[in-house]
Amino acid sequence: MSANPRDMPRREGAFEREPARRIFASELRECRYQFKDGDDEKSPTFVLLPTGERSNRIFLVGTLTEKTRQGEQNVFYRGRVVDPTGTFFIMAGSYQPEAMQQLAKIEPPQFVAVIGKPNLYQKPDGSFMNSVRVESITVVDKDTRDLWVLDVAKQTLDRVDALKAGTGKDVPKAKEQYPTIDPAVFRKIAYDALAQIRM
Amino acid sequence: MDYSEAADRISRKYQKSGQAVDVKKIEGKLRRLVDEFGVQPSEAERSVINELNKEFNIPAAGSPAGGGRAGGANEQKRIADAAPGDWVTFEAKVVALSAPASPSIAQSGILADESGAIRFVVWAKSNAPKMSEGSWYRIESAVVDEFKGVPSLKVHSGTTIREIGEDRSLIPTPLPIKDLHPGIGGVRAKVVQEWDASHERMLQSGLLGDETGTIKFVIWKEPGKEKLKVGAVYSIFYAQVDEFNGRLSLNLNAATIMQEDAEIAVSGGESAVRGAIVHIAPGSGIIKRCPVEGCNRALSRQNYCPVHEIQPKFVYDLRIKGWLDDGEKTHNILLQRDATEALTGITLDAAKEIAENNPLGMDEVFLRMRDAILGRYIVCHGREIDGRLLVNKCEKVTFDSGEHAALLNRAGGAS
Repeated sequence: MSANPRDMPRREGAFEREPARRIFASELRECRYQFKDGDDEKSPTFVLLPTGERSNRIFLVGTLTEKTRQGEQNVFYRGRVVDPTGTFFIMAGSYQPEAMQQLAKIEPPQFVAVIGKPNLYQKPDGSFMNSVRVESITVVDKDTRDLWVLDVAKQTLDRVDALKAGTGKDVPKAKEQYPTIDPAVFRKIAYDALAQIRM
Repeated sequence: MDYSEAADRISRKYQKSGQAVDVKKIEGKLRRLVDEFGVQPSEAERSVINELNKEFNIPAAGSPAGGGRAGGANEQKRIADAAPGDWVTFEAKVVALSAPASPSIAQSGILADESGAIRFVVWAKSNAPKMSEGSWYRIESAVVDEFKGVPSLKVHSGTTIREIGEDRSLIPTPLPIKDLHPGIGGVRAKVVQEWDASHERMLQSGLLGDETGTIKFVIWKEPGKEKLKVGAVYSIFYAQVDEFNGRLSLNLNAATIMQEDAEIAVSGGESAVRGAIVHIAPGSGIIKRCPVEGCNRALSRQNYCPVHEIQPKFVYDLRIKGWLDDGEKTHNILLQRDATEALTGITLDAAKEIAENNPLGMDEVFLRMRDAILGRYIVCHGREIDGRLLVNKCEKVTFDSGEHAALLNRAGGAS
C-alpha cells in the first residue's frame, strides 16, 4: 500500500468509527432507502432515516422476546427485540461468530443491548423489511432500557427539529425520499415512548 | 445534456478575457465525450476547459471556475483563501525568515496578511530581490503548492516582487488550539508539560494547552533560540502547524513568541463524554506487563515483550480499551486500572484469581467485564490525546426523572 497520504482517501489517523444512531423501531420500519457513501467496495452502506440522518450502525435496547436457530450447515440466529414503539428484527450468522455465541446464550425474555448494522431488504412482493445484523448483544437491566428510551427520544426530537430547520446534510435527501412522511409523527412516537416508562 | 448551452457557457468565459474560441468545436468535443465515450457531462465540461486552458497557456487551477479566469494570476488574493495549485498575487508582510534548507533556495520564511499566514520559498534561480523581515511586499504571480501537507508559496522566475513602502498594521489573532490546521497558526497557550528531548538537535519539546485543548510543540536547536518556561503563558504567532499521522504539532522555530503575565485555565483536554459503550476491544481485561524498570509494555500471551523478550516475572494490570458512542460521534476510550475496577466491580486481585484458576483464564476476565459494561450508559472524564480519551474517572449514568419530564414536555409541547 502506498504511504503517500494523498493516495489514500481515508487516512489511518483520520479514521472515524461510524457512530451508532439512536432510533425507535417504528422509525427503522419506515426506512425505504439505502445508499453507499463512495464507490469503493469497502465504502460504508447507510440506511437513510426519515428524520434526515444517515445510519450505518445503531444502538438499541429492548426486550428480546423470541429467538430462533435456523440453517443446518450455516447456522444463524434470528431474534425479535421489542421497544415501546415496535419491533426490531435482529440476526447473527457465522460471519458474526462472537455475536452469535452471545445471542445463543441468552434465553428470552430479557432486556438486551444490541449494537448492529441496519439492513434494508425488498421482499418479492415489493414490501420492505428492515433487520439489524448484530455486532454485539448483552443482557442489561431495566434502568439501561429506560436510559435508552430517554436517549432515543432526545435524539429523535433533535433530528425532527433539524429537519424542520432544514439543517443537516442529509435533510434534502430525506425530504426527497420520504415526501409523504410528516415529522410530527416522530414527535408523537417519542412522546408515546416516554409516556410508557416509569409511569 | 444540452451541448450548445454548455458550449456557450464555456466560450463566454474565454471571450471575456479576449480569447477567440470556436463554440461549434467545443460543442462537438462535449458531444463526443458524452455520447461516444459515456463520460459524465460535468467531467466532459471539465476536460474541455482543461484542454482550452492548455491551449491558451492558462495555468490549470484546482477548480474549473479558477481555470477559466485568464486573469486569475493577477487577481489579488487573501492568504487565507489560497489553495494549493493557485497562482496568486499577495500584498503581505515578511514576518519571519528562516535559514534556507538547501543551496537551491535563496530565502524561506513566513508571509502574513490580515487574513492569515503562509510559508514561502524563493528559489535561487528566480533571481528575485532579497526581502527583509518586517517589510511589506506585493508579490505577483507566485504559485501555491503543498509540501508535507502544508500549503507553501513558491517564488519563481516569473514572479515579480515589489516592496511596499508603508508599514501597515497587522494584528495576528491567536486561534483556539482545537481549531488549528496544518499551515501557519498562532495560539495563546500555557506550557503544561516539558518532555525529554528525543533527538540531539531538539532544544525542547512538550505540550501547550489552552481552554480548548492541547498540542505538542517542538523547538529545534538554532542560535538564539530559548526554551519556554513550564507553567508560563505565551502568545505565539506564525508557528508552523505540522501534521503527522493525523496529529498536529507546532514547530516554534520561526514563530514570534511573547511571554504574557496571565493565567489560562488549561482544559488539559479534560473533557467529559456521555454515551453508551458499544465495543470492548481485544487487549481489555486483565493483561500482563513487562516488569523491566521504565518499560511497562503489555506482554503477549507468551509473556513476550517487544523489547525485553520473554519475561516470566510479569506484572498483572487491568485496563479497558473500547468505544463510547453518544449517537453523533464515537470516542475511543482507554480506562486504566482504577477506572476499570470501579466500573466493572472486578478488582485486580479478583481478576488474578479468575485468570489463574478458571479454565478460560484471562479470557474469562474479558468476558465477565464485557458482560458487565457493554451496552451501558456511562460518563467518562479525562483528557483526549491523539484521538483517544484517557479516562481518569467514570461513572454509570442514572435515570433522571427531571430529564424525563423535560423530554415529555418537549415532545408533547409542540405537537
